[in-house]
Order: sequence, then C-alpha cells, then structure tokens
Amino acid sequence: MNMGGKQDLDRRVKTRKGVFKMLTSGPIVVMQVPEVLKVGEVHDFMQELGPLLESNRPRIVLDLSQVRSMESAGVEMLLHCLEEVLKRDGDLKLAALSPEAEVILELMRVSRVFETFLTCEEAIRSFHAIPAEAVPQNTPWYANVFNELGVVKQAS
Amino acid sequence: MLGAIIIASDQSRQVQGDRFIASPGSELASWAAVEVMGKASITRLADALWEVCDLVSVIATLRDRRNGAQSESSLPDLADECFASYKRKGCDAVLIARCGAYFELDIATMLAFHQERGLEATRAFVDDGPLDVWIVDPSVVSGYSWVCSPSACARSAVYRSQAYANRLQSARDFRRLVLDGFHSRCHLRPEGAEIKPGIWVCEGALIERSARIVAPAFIGRNVQISDECLITRGSNVESDSHIHFGTAVENSSILPNTYVGIGLDLAHSIVDGRNLINLQHNVSLQITDPVVLRESAARGRGRKLRTDIESGMAMSSAE
Repeated sequence: MNMGGKQDLDRRVKTRKGVFKMLTSGPIVVMQVPEVLKVGEVHDFMQELGPLLESNRPRIVLDLSQVRSMESAGVEMLLHCLEEVLKRDGDLKLAALSPEAEVILELMRVSRVFETFLTCEEAIRSFHAIPAEAVPQNTPWYANVFNELGVVKQAS
Repeated sequence: MLGAIIIASDQSRQVQGDRFIASPGSELASWAAVEVMGKASITRLADALWEVCDLVSVIATLRDRRNGAQSESSLPDLADECFASYKRKGCDAVLIARCGAYFELDIATMLAFHQERGLEATRAFVDDGPLDVWIVDPSVVSGYSWVCSPSACARSAVYRSQAYANRLQSARDFRRLVLDGFHSRCHLRPEGAEIKPGIWVCEGALIERSARIVAPAFIGRNVQISDECLITRGSNVESDSHIHFGTAVENSSILPNTYVGIGLDLAHSIVDGRNLINLQHNVSLQITDPVVLRESAARGRGRKLRTDIESGMAMSSAE
C-alpha cells in the first residue's frame, strides 16, 4: 500500500493475533484485512476498526489483497461495517481483492453489495470524485433564450 | 482372446499427493477416477472394454484409510502379475491402458490394425499426440514394464485415430468433458433417466418442488436438492451430495459427498467437499467454514472414488 501522499500516515497496529496495517490519506482510512478472516481474526480486526466506524462520515478503504481465506463471519463483518458507515453518511470501499476474496464474496452473493476497486489508490480517488449526478448533464432549455436576449441587448 | 489391463493410477509416473483437487493437473490419473455424470471415466472404460475383451482387470493402489500408506505391491508389479496370468490363459493380445485420459477408441479396429501389422506392440495416437494405450503381443512382450521402457515407443506401431479424447489433466478438462457429454460432442452419456430433455436424474435423488433444474443438468444418485435451488448451465451434481436452500449452481460440477450451504452462488467451479476450484478466477481454495461447504455427513471423503476402483477390482476378480 503505497499512496505516495505527504499527509499519509502509515502505522501498524499490533494485536494478539497479528499486525493490521493501517494508512490514512486525509480523512480516508485504508486498512489491510488479514490473510485469514475467521471468528478470532474478525474480533481482533473489529477492535481496531470499530472506533473508526463510529466517527463522523467515516471513509474507509479495506485492502483485501492479502486475504486467502474468509469464513462467513468475515463476510458478516464486512456487511456490518458497510451498514455502520452508511448510517453515518460515510462509505466503505473494497480494494485490491485477491482472487480468493473475490471468489468467496461471489460465492456468498455479496460481491455486488460493495463498491470494489483494483487498487487502493483508485478507491481513495473515488472518494474525491464529484458524483455523476451532481454534474449537469444537459444545457438547460432556457440557456438559448438568455443568449438571444444578450444579442438583442447588444444590438440595441 | 483379448485381455485388458487398466492401470488406475501409477505412482511411477510422478503422481503427486493424494488430493487431486488441491493441486489440479499435477495428478494425471485422479480426474479419470472421479465420478462424472454418475460414473468415473475408468469405470466407463472398463465397461466399454468388457464388450470387446474376454478378460478385464483394473489395477489400483488403495491407500490405507488410517495413515495413507500404500499397499505393499507396487502397481507395475501388480500389472506384471496380471499380464503373466493373461499369458498363461492364452491371450493373443493384451490391451494396456494407463488411465489418465478419457478416450473413445474403437478397440476392435485397433486390434485388427495391430494383428495386420504383426508388430510386438501398437500404440494409440489421437490428434494431439499419443495416448497411454497399447495393444501388445504377450508372446513377445515381457510384461507391463515393457510399455514403460523408452524403447517401447520406437518399437510400437502407430495407430492413428480421430476418436474423441480428453486428457483430463486439469479441472478445466474435467469441466470440458462434462459439457461435451451434455452437448453430445462425445459418447459419454449421463447415468439415470432423462426426465425432461437435457435433464438426467438418478435413482434416489430428491428434488424439492420449488427447486429449478434447467437443462442441461445432471442430478446423481441420492442427491438432495432443497427448495428454491437453481441448477443450471451444464451443471452436474454427483452422488450423495446436498445442495441446500436457495443456492444457485451454474456451470459447475459438485463432486460426490459434498454439502453446499444455504443461499450461495456457485458458478464456473468444481467443488469437492471443502475444496473449491474456480475456473473463472483460476483459483483453488479450501473453505474452512462448514456452513458453506463441507463433506456431506453421511459418508467420508474419497468413498466414491474408492468404490469405483473397488468395483473395477471386483470386475477383475469376476473374470
């Protein structure tokens, strides 16, 4: 996970079962999901992720590149996290899914629930992008009227 | 008199491990021993050979259930013993098939070709190269070990055939064989009864009323398909498996004794107990969560594979 930004803060969180790599890019938090996501790992991971979910408008990217095995508890955790961030007007995106993670999410019918990105950088950029619906798609019908009025005004 | 020896798996060919699905492609013989639409390729071959041969033997090494150790006699030794017994019984020719591939050779034509040439051995070739199938003259050839020797190729006549063959070297080949069977691109026919066009169901299968089976599909012996399931796009669910509530199986093979959990979406995959190969993502993984995938409760792993081989052994002893 190399974001390259100066404001990025990379830290490793030590827990009983391992080290969770965490990185912040402005208000966005990127967390690396552990290789094995069973009940025990889910508990440890949630201890770290939990406070972030309770912040105002949490923006979280989960890096699934290391995931090799995921139980249904892991999938439930992802769904729970998504639910929590959406409640607080935030968003959670998945990035760099390993083939194993992709297969498991598809198998459990949740792959379409999440927004997924090929890399963490893409996922971070997506938070900065202006949503398509916010951009006017067509020129309004009255724009021509104003143009014509301008021409008349100049002529007079 | 024509005798046939089928070697189910041969450790002398650098066959690795005992779990075919954990390392697809590395264990050549294993895919041929896996049930495909009700019957393993080896068993199908043995059945086909019974029609043209007077004696048929299937030779396999059965592993000890407790410690995985193999029986004392090695496969080449067993094959040599069998070859010698055929010789004593007066066979004019012996067909030797080291079974890794599925093939549909016309054995009678190959035998005629072999007898016409009068050479010590004839080896079958298909479009993409040689098969491990020979017809040898037992009065000249010393035994099974002869076909394993480097000189065997040079001293064999080449019998070229346009017959269908699938080398079954990988999970992808296995799926291709299933689809070729469904689409009549080969003579492999599903077992059981065709209850609707393109839907085959075997004895003892239980399909709940609200489950949907879309052709082509195969449901094996004692399979249970629960409510709201969907089995579609050339999927085969092999014997003693259970597809639980609301799960969709698409373009996939469920191997014998497999439980597939509730509300799953299984596509482009081969599942054997906890092991899953996804052909779309080209990944092989083991699902540790028993509510998702597991071996079905009724019977232990490898039972079907062993039964097929044992039925082959029984055939051998019945001769």
